[in-house]
Amino acid sequence: MLKRMFAGLSLAALALGFIASGAAAADKPVYAVLMKTLSNPFWNAMEQGIKAGAEKAGVDVLVQAVESETATEAQLNTCNTMLERKPPALISSAINPTILLPCLKQATDMNILVVDLDFDLDHDIAKKAGVKIAFSIGSDNYAGGGKAAEWLVSKLGKDAKGPVLVIEGLAGNGNGGKRAHGFADAVVKLAPGLSVVGILPGDWDRQKAANITNDILTRNPDLVAIFCSNDTMALGAVEAAYAAGKGDKITIIGFDGTTDAVKSIKDGRLGASVAQLPYLVGSQAVEKTKAVLAGGTADEMTYVPTLVLTKQLFSENKDPLLQYLR
Amino acid sequence: MSTESDAASVPPPRRRSVVRIESLAVLALFCGVLSFLSPYFLSVANILNVLLATSVIGVLAYGATFVIAAAGIDLSLGSVLGLAGVAGALSMNQLGLPWPAGVLVFLAAGAACGCMNGLIVTLGRIPPFIVTLGTLGVARGLALVLTNGAPVYGLDPAFVYLGQGRPAGIPTPVIIFLGVGAICHFVLSYTRFGKYAVVIGDNESAARAMGIRVDRLRVALYSLAGLLAGVSGLLFAARTNAGDPTAGVSYELTAITATVLGGTNLFGGRATIFGTLVGALIMGVLQNGLNLMAVSSFYQQILIGVVLVLAVWLDQINQRRAKR
Amino acid sequence: MSLLEISDVEKHFGPVQVLRGVSLTVESGEIVALVGDNGAGKSTLMKTITGVHNLDGGTIRFDGVSLARKEPGEIRSLGIEMIYQDLALAKLQDVASNIFLGREPTIRFLGTPIRIIDRSRTEREAEKMIKKLGARLPSVTYAVGELSGGQQQSVAIARALTFNPKLVIMDEPTAALAVREVEHVLELIRTLRAQGIAVILISHRLTDVFAVCDRIVVLRQGAVIADDPTRNTSMNAVVAHIVGAVEPAHQGNAR
Repeated sequence: MLKRMFAGLSLAALALGFIASGAAAADKPVYAVLMKTLSNPFWNAMEQGIKAGAEKAGVDVLVQAVESETATEAQLNTCNTMLERKPPALISSAINPTILLPCLKQATDMNILVVDLDFDLDHDIAKKAGVKIAFSIGSDNYAGGGKAAEWLVSKLGKDAKGPVLVIEGLAGNGNGGKRAHGFADAVVKLAPGLSVVGILPGDWDRQKAANITNDILTRNPDLVAIFCSNDTMALGAVEAAYAAGKGDKITIIGFDGTTDAVKSIKDGRLGASVAQLPYLVGSQAVEKTKAVLAGGTADEMTYVPTLVLTKQLFSENKDPLLQYLR
Repeated sequence: MSTESDAASVPPPRRRSVVRIESLAVLALFCGVLSFLSPYFLSVANILNVLLATSVIGVLAYGATFVIAAAGIDLSLGSVLGLAGVAGALSMNQLGLPWPAGVLVFLAAGAACGCMNGLIVTLGRIPPFIVTLGTLGVARGLALVLTNGAPVYGLDPAFVYLGQGRPAGIPTPVIIFLGVGAICHFVLSYTRFGKYAVVIGDNESAARAMGIRVDRLRVALYSLAGLLAGVSGLLFAARTNAGDPTAGVSYELTAITATVLGGTNLFGGRATIFGTLVGALIMGVLQNGLNLMAVSSFYQQILIGVVLVLAVWLDQINQRRAKR
Repeated sequence: MSLLEISDVEKHFGPVQVLRGVSLTVESGEIVALVGDNGAGKSTLMKTITGVHNLDGGTIRFDGVSLARKEPGEIRSLGIEMIYQDLALAKLQDVASNIFLGREPTIRFLGTPIRIIDRSRTEREAEKMIKKLGARLPSVTYAVGELSGGQQQSVAIARALTFNPKLVIMDEPTAALAVREVEHVLELIRTLRAQGIAVILISHRLTDVFAVCDRIVVLRQGAVIADDPTRNTSMNAVVAHIVGAVEPAHQGNAR
């Protein structure tokens, strides 16, 4: 009896499905957006930005993600499924530089616009695999480091003198290195009296950054500033500096604009933090996609500005980029 | 001996069916409902996508079926997939082996891990749950060590065809998934090896008393599961054009779910390869359908867990009905 | 030379000595009962014969061949079969598969060297054997677990008789049967004797033992304390031996 029910239900559904398959077209264009995972604030903010950008641009988006940052095959499968809808554009944030290439190649062959979200693809490898990337869009980590240097020099003055410590993430890691070098290169140019005593790997770890700070203070007790490639390390450096009694003499800058960092800035301990604006990245990605589809162009590497968060910024509350902070 | 009841009716010979009808019914039901809910489901492209997305897990599940048939379990299948994938990729890229030799490395690496599982279970007399739980960590760790955590990208295009080719429009992994399934079905249902596997799961002491070499067979079964995990690792590497040390994380759970959904008894004694194929397709159709309907991946996980429990529950009801 | 010669067999499990020098013989076509209380060592003795356990001392010879260190499969092929108390059947497998378990006839698959089980032959021959035993089963394709207790035992017996054994050991074959089925089993045992097949019958049911056996061996605490032809002893004497109320009169001497 149960079996007959199953059979009847299935046949009825299949029949309706056949009828419905005819009407697969939609009226507003629907962009396909494939993200890594939605289980952290950075990506949540980006999704919000994407939806806002879609509304502004007058398009629809279909946003999908997979369950974790190791579900590579699942992301590839989802990508393949998304292509069935023949979207005008596919905006993706690949879990690693190579996993989506077979699907993106198929998209290229189907004349679907391929957009790389957050610089996850390697352009050379993609080209060799037959993938045409319309543009990559994300935060400019190098320029972000530079902005941190600008703010430091604006605070200390162009003729500031003294040693400066730079703590990057994992030795040789992409983003951490870009931020660190962005800061180091800019700071000596803007204030030649400042000297970078070293770019040391803090492994994104609070304790390690604290240890490095202590060691360098022994060598350079007149340290004037510390730049760290993320907030976790910066907060470690802050504790070490205050413990050594030098908290108010050293300006410390972090990166990411996390809630803890914002609190420390408002409390006057951490000097500043360079915040990425994933919300802005998301909305600009959708708007620029629409522009390119309409015949416009976009830079192959499109950079979205970062925002240096400081106590003054929060108290003045005037900066237009603040609206994109989520 | 009187024969009064013989005259009444001769009952028909009871043939064990190749697949449990309930599993097919569930698959049909899901397909039916999804084709109603999404206009994209019934297209040729989507059906091929479902089959393609199911291939890697499907082959892994065949291995799980053999082990579970003999009342064992293998939790290391996903990690072995990853290690075999890395070993094969490195052998071609760093050792310069031609791709047919590379294929053998995938299979041998998988079989070796499986054999080790089998030997420790048999000689050490340690429950397979514990042994394979250990191998799960060791294999994954080894894969990460060999590659320093980063995927080995860019394999021989001839090899990559095994994962990305479409002979006659059908993706190669699908052909391998179905072909390997046919071979496994043959082994399980027609050979003595297959029969002894389920008999060991049914009544191990009876098997021993009848002279079946239970220990040897057990090692062979785990080795076979490892070999099939090697095939899965090969398909994964070819699909993604990389030896990825994080390939296959948690895949063993899906493989075991597919096996149980298909009608193989989790506690041994009854197994069906075709059922596992259907079970894997049920999982694949479910994931594909939820993707098509853009259901959040968080809900997908909940739904898949619910389906598993329902499947086992239905199976238990069925078994109790069949008992006198 | 006797068909089966057991001499001074010893077996211990860790510190526990289960068999302390057991000696007995069985001739072709003889029905010997092996009785004793729980823990006397009857099962262990049978398992040393069928190769499940190794001997720690003594020898077992069957048809002149030593059984030491042989695998259960080898011992079956020499002609010793056992019907276990729990029947040792695979309940989810069908009758035919159980009867041929471990010794399935095979044919080549499409002419290749790959061998597959010859299903039609196992079913045909299983049916023949079941019919020969006079058992009533719906079909040899039914799973053993779907049959009644008596039917299941017929399957176990059919399995033991299919490959022309010379010695059949039966462990409590009548314990769970109805009266008519018990008589059926005793009749079967007599038929085996008529065919020259030896039988060792382990049983608690002394009425059955006295009904059909030629000789009664009593095992107590791992040693033979009585070994008499049935007509030379009585149920009271046997019971007394079992519980140890009588001094051992004969020391393990077989006829």
